Amino acid sequence: MKSKINFYLIEFAINSLLRQKAKSIFITVVITFLTFLLASVFFITNSIKYELNATLDSLPQITLQDVRGGRIHDIDIKNVEKILAINGVSDASSRVWGYYYFEMLDVYFTVVGIEEFETALTPALASLSEKFDFNSIAMFVGAGVKKKMSERYYKEYFNFIKPDGSMKKVNIAGVFESDLELEANDMIVMSKQNVREIFAMSEERATDISVHVSNPKEIATVAQKIKEQFPSFKVITKDDLKLSYENMFNYKSGVFLALFVVAIFTFFIIIYDKLSGVSSEEKREVGILKAVGWRVEDVLKEKFYEAGIISVFSYLLGIALALAFVYLLQAPLLREIFIGYSDLKVSFRLPFVMDLQTLLLVFFLTIPIYIAATIIPSWRVASLETDEVIR
Amino acid sequence: MIELKNISKIYESNENNRVTALKDVSINFKEGELILLKGPSGSGKSTMLSLIAALSKPTSGEVIVDTKRISKLADTFAATYRRNNIGFIFQKYNLIPNLSVEDNILLPLIPLNLSEDEAQKHVKSVMEKFHIAHKKEIAVKSLSGGEQQRVAIARANVNKPKIILADEPTANLDKELSLKFIEILRELKSQNKTIIVATHDPLFFGLDFVDREIEMLNGELLV
Amino acid sequence: MILSPEILTLLILNAILTFFAIIAFYLSLRIFWKYDKNSSAKSQYELESQSYLAATIIKYIFAIKIPLFLFFIFTLDKLSGSIVGAMCAAGVVDATDYGTPLLMLKILNLYLFAYWIVLHNEDSKDENQPYVREKFAFYCVAFFLFIGEIVLEFVMFDAIDIKSVVDCCGVIYSSSSASYLSYFLNMNQLVLLTLFYTLFLLMFLFYKLKNRYAFTLVNLFFIIVSLITLISFFGTYIYELPTHKCPFCFLQKDYHYIGYILYAFLFLGTFYGLTLAFKEREEGYKLSLFFNSAYTIGVSIYPALYYFKNGVWL
Repeated sequence: MKSKINFYLIEFAINSLLRQKAKSIFITVVITFLTFLLASVFFITNSIKYELNATLDSLPQITLQDVRGGRIHDIDIKNVEKILAINGVSDASSRVWGYYYFEMLDVYFTVVGIEEFETALTPALASLSEKFDFNSIAMFVGAGVKKKMSERYYKEYFNFIKPDGSMKKVNIAGVFESDLELEANDMIVMSKQNVREIFAMSEERATDISVHVSNPKEIATVAQKIKEQFPSFKVITKDDLKLSYENMFNYKSGVFLALFVVAIFTFFIIIYDKLSGVSSEEKREVGILKAVGWRVEDVLKEKFYEAGIISVFSYLLGIALALAFVYLLQAPLLREIFIGYSDLKVSFRLPFVMDLQTLLLVFFLTIPIYIAATIIPSWRVASLETDEVIR
Repeated sequence: MIELKNISKIYESNENNRVTALKDVSINFKEGELILLKGPSGSGKSTMLSLIAALSKPTSGEVIVDTKRISKLADTFAATYRRNNIGFIFQKYNLIPNLSVEDNILLPLIPLNLSEDEAQKHVKSVMEKFHIAHKKEIAVKSLSGGEQQRVAIARANVNKPKIILADEPTANLDKELSLKFIEILRELKSQNKTIIVATHDPLFFGLDFVDREIEMLNGELLV
Repeated sequence: MILSPEILTLLILNAILTFFAIIAFYLSLRIFWKYDKNSSAKSQYELESQSYLAATIIKYIFAIKIPLFLFFIFTLDKLSGSIVGAMCAAGVVDATDYGTPLLMLKILNLYLFAYWIVLHNEDSKDENQPYVREKFAFYCVAFFLFIGEIVLEFVMFDAIDIKSVVDCCGVIYSSSSASYLSYFLNMNQLVLLTLFYTLFLLMFLFYKLKNRYAFTLVNLFFIIVSLITLISFFGTYIYELPTHKCPFCFLQKDYHYIGYILYAFLFLGTFYGLTLAFKEREEGYKLSLFFNSAYTIGVSIYPALYYFKNGVWL
């Protein structure tokens, strides 16, 4: 039952493909294009997910917000003490931050306040706070922010417009880098006091409270305790965020995939149609093969070898092109569709993320479908009556 | 060894167009015989060859080869029978033009999945025997008529068949090449192969190594 | 339904397979009714021609089913990350009422389609085509089971709710759970193991005696006992944890995907064993024994190594 691989048949199949150049090239182009599109979409979403996850990882494990009327309201700082008293909480601190709308360019900056001796900071912010002069009215900005500000000729300083209409001038002390481009790009960091001024937030209030838990496995439990103690507050755990992003991504990918169902269906029809147009040359060849003793099964096998070879080749080509497009060229045009979660056009580099799953997915969506499209046309050709063809 | 019993073959290209190629033909061929099928075109010679090769099925009657009823075989087994027993030399040669000589000759052997050594052995021996080994890499379309015919003959012999069928083999050859072909036939006969040649080329008539000459007209045998 | 790309891919491919399965079904019915080997009518010739198409489609379905099944398991495993409480595919399978029957149906169908291929190969060797009608009738039956599987798979994925909390394998397969599985897992391990190895040796005995029906029967029991001992005994040595009884966790990367290999051996070994009921084939015996041995040795290595390293059993 186990037969050795028929190399002569493989050779013949390859030769046959080469002898029908026009058709083979057409098919290769179609499959490669489809594979390329699919793979690119998956690569981009994977990279963004990876970046996002890494960013999320740097977020506090639990965030507490005072939500009124569906909107985030300032939270009372006194609650920090109460939170710290809960069992399992290793640290809690108030966070002061917000989105500043820069009208001239129609963009939002994320303004984050830090304090001296603050404990619960991301590594990037922590290293920043070391060199920060908390007494000055100055800020550090992310690379994307610097660029945007420069466009409006704010090179050394920036004028924030406070809610009451007056201006606050803040010097740009420097540009900060972060391992996480998403984090750094649209961020501005300054002292909490200055942030409060810009957003007219009182000293007793903060944007939200970040909570750290001593045992990461207990996050859900502690979150539960907090909910019980503060029923009116919104408690968001890191896992909740991750899950909702994951599902949003799946949804977006899902929508894309639904579109792809249409594309695949069209693909199937095109292939079927193309293969059904059997040239007289091809008919004659099959006639010759059967005349010298090839059975229908042998002809079918040969046709499947052809299908297999051309589809695998095109698949590999498509993947290679997608890799180059997404990671070398950074996916111009296509990435814009996916990076819509922040209003600042984030100019970050898509990190190289490759997993087996994506390759398998693209494989299953292209090769079996192509081969399926070849079944009936191949059978038709293989079943031609020899006698009539030879005469 | 080859028996045709009450064979009729009717071609129906459409409703009103029926062509009777063979009418109730019965004939036997013995092993090792070299038979000539003579007659004008349309007399049914090609059809008879086609039936013996199991390339088509009779409308009625039976074809029996070595006690096997090949006329009733399903396509799979007909093909297997053909590749094991028949070597067919077609009038138009039926070679694949863009393939090399070697690849053309190899064709019948491909589905058998032989080892490389065995396949090479078979192909080499027929190429040498029919004197086209020196052109083995060349695409068949670039060969002369005579050379193409030798490729066709080589291919017909590569599977070491017991029966050789030739349909108007000299129709496209000049006298010199035709004579060469006749010599090849002589040699094949000496190997005790059963050979049936359909032809109306007078060069074949009255040859010493021909066992029988059968005349056909309008799908019937002329006795 | 969770609209993940993996699930969508599975559904798309299922749709394609179904489309072709229906064509094959239609052809199979016609062939079963009207195939007459001895007729020289044009319709018979067409039927013959169509039998090649039907056979090709069925072979194609089987060829795709195997990697698709592996991908299915892989998808379940990945889903466990999105469903609270699930740590491996076990939790996902258990998340709905349909999971376990679907899995069993899928495995059954693999056996059935593989069997069809054996039937087809035997039929193709003989000029009298002895099994033509049988094989297509068999396909007609298998077709319904196949459609059942497709529908069930769709229903299951539709029913999975990420917000529901499921049990992980530790709970599902534990001795204290109330499920029917725990009855088997609770049986005396020594008894189960003796049964397992005895069945294995019986296979060799019946091979020597050339009693193929007994051989097949033993293989049938072997499937059941293997699965039980795998979950309750051998698995624990793969995990090196006496309470970790799960048939899915060792499919994961942490265990070098060994699960796929062991299951493959078990499937192949018992499949060849079962085909012997249909026809006596020397190679059937050999292949069955080979793969079953590979499986038995494979699972036995783990406890053996553990004892060797630690001097005690779990």
